[in-house]
Amino acid sequence: MNGMMLVARREITTQIRTRSFVISLLVTVVVVGALAFAPKLFDRPDSYTIGTVNSQQLPLEAAAPDIEFEWRSFPDEAAATRAVLDGDVDAVLVDGAKVFTDGQIETELGVLLQSTHREAKLGAAGVQIAPLQMESVGADTRYQAARTGIAVVLVLVLFMLILGQVMMVAMGVVEEKGSRIVEILLSSVRPWQLLGGKVIGLGVLGLINLGAILVAGIGASFASGFAADFPPGMTGIVAGVLVWFVLGYAFFATLGAALASLVSRQEEVGNVMSPMTMLIMAAYFVAFYATTDPTGTLATIVSFVPPFSSMVMPVRMAATEVPLWEVAASAGLMVLAVLAILAFGAKVYERAVLRTGARVKLGEVLRAK
Amino acid sequence: MLEISGLRKRFAGGPGAPEGKQALDGIGFTVRPGEMFGFVGANGAGKSTTMRIVMGVLKADAGTVSWRGEPMTHADRQRFGYMPEERGLYQKMRAGEQIEYFGRLHGMSQANAKKATEDLLERLSLTDRRNSSVESLSLGNQQRVQLAVALVHDPELLILDEPFSGLDPIAVDALATVLQERCRGGVPVIFSSHQLELVERLCDSVGIVSAGRMVASGTVDELRAAEGGMLRVVVRDPAPGWADGLPGQVDVQGNRHVLVTEDGDDQDILRRAIKAGHVEHFGVEQPTLTEIFKEAVA
Repeated sequence: MNGMMLVARREITTQIRTRSFVISLLVTVVVVGALAFAPKLFDRPDSYTIGTVNSQQLPLEAAAPDIEFEWRSFPDEAAATRAVLDGDVDAVLVDGAKVFTDGQIETELGVLLQSTHREAKLGAAGVQIAPLQMESVGADTRYQAARTGIAVVLVLVLFMLILGQVMMVAMGVVEEKGSRIVEILLSSVRPWQLLGGKVIGLGVLGLINLGAILVAGIGASFASGFAADFPPGMTGIVAGVLVWFVLGYAFFATLGAALASLVSRQEEVGNVMSPMTMLIMAAYFVAFYATTDPTGTLATIVSFVPPFSSMVMPVRMAATEVPLWEVAASAGLMVLAVLAILAFGAKVYERAVLRTGARVKLGEVLRAK
Repeated sequence: MLEISGLRKRFAGGPGAPEGKQALDGIGFTVRPGEMFGFVGANGAGKSTTMRIVMGVLKADAGTVSWRGEPMTHADRQRFGYMPEERGLYQKMRAGEQIEYFGRLHGMSQANAKKATEDLLERLSLTDRRNSSVESLSLGNQQRVQLAVALVHDPELLILDEPFSGLDPIAVDALATVLQERCRGGVPVIFSSHQLELVERLCDSVGIVSAGRMVASGTVDELRAAEGGMLRVVVRDPAPGWADGLPGQVDVQGNRHVLVTEDGDDQDILRRAIKAGHVEHFGVEQPTLTEIFKEAVA
């Protein structure tokens, strides 16, 4: 096994054994699993309780199959009025001619009652009316709610995972530099092997996290029945998320490692990383905005601009249908950006990581022979 | 054989020291197989800088480092053992795993790294600490782990920056024994230390460095010979003025006179002393390494 893989393996085995890794993995799995049940809890179908006094039940179920109706009959108007005022029933149909409610009737219920009443009367008079055929000539919006929900969860997961893993890379770099372990390490491995191994190792941990989240989310969706609302092409969305995570992580982790190699103390990490943290935050905000307006100009343009595309494009892919060529073009640009940052990061790291003491200036590193 | 010649290194100035510092000013020396080389010098004399250049941690401005007659390469250094001045270990990693990890980084197979780790843990009395994280170990034990990291891959050359600092006498002996063994096996060992008695006891040869230059080097005996012994004569109840005209200094301690001198005819001095009183002591005293060191860097 070469040096890089040994370094990667050490990162994985030491992290995976820590209590914080296990706990945070469990917590995210539970939270994401619970989110899959959320639509069921909050989006319960409407239901109405309707009373009758001396009336036939109207065929409301046939007119609105998504709504549940419960019928009760009352002996007289007085009993019905009491039930309405107590809130036991939403409305009472009296003598097939009037409706009692407490205050104004809910619009939806009022319209339903009126139209079914009319239809029943007309039907009794022998008039048959063919129902209107509904047809959408715009985009398929059946899955819009599910798509937006998935995209929102995705933004949060990508943001937290990328930022979290990148910070781990940065802290690891400074740990080795500050404690001078790097002096021993670099007498046996090359700087790029050390950098690459660390980025790969913590990336694998990120993928383990992401995989667990996806499995928990999708599994819980099937358990809760939310999976029935999954938009078509869900497999592509999941695969896309994995690829975009790898690209985004590779970019930010390499940049983070390069910046972190400029300082020697953990206290300075936050400071030296702040330009990059801001970059991730910016990507996060645009990606969040894209969940609500995935076809808008801002989201569309930014979904092509590396490194923001690594967070915005997967969110657009979840929130709406993105043509394949757009995804491919954006991914191609991102791959180029990753290659460029790898070259840049390896150079900065190699030149800065042995210069312990005061913070090394980036310009100085780039100018050095 | 490790040959170092004409190393020069200048550190750029910064705030507080705008003119920078010439850390190495043409230092050079040679360490033969099986030789234990003690590197002594005041703080800031350039010992660590030299070692860091040999290990490739720093680049020299000028000069060469060669190993077995060839310019030293990264592949060579992979077979060296190095203990930096500022100790570096993964605090949260277990002691045994850490030693094994460095063994593997140096290219050992898993089985060999494991075996070497077990051996070292036993040699350094750390077997029961194998699964403790480094941060939970005492400083002395951390130092032993650090040494094990430098030794695990059976290095061809050992470069140890202050390996004895902070160790108790028992740990010093344990470490010294391990180093002597490696040395007898033909490995050149270079270590720096401020404990000059220890250097004198352990080392085949010594290099004294001052202001980035090697001011004296050779075996301890050679250094002594170069420095020369001091004649010390103790006379009880001598006649006053007995030593008038003799070289050196007379120190009066009660009824004893102590004469210490570097030059003069020792036989003449002895005759004068016998005539003057009762000679209690007459002999040439070898300078200690401490005296040689103070003389050399003065």
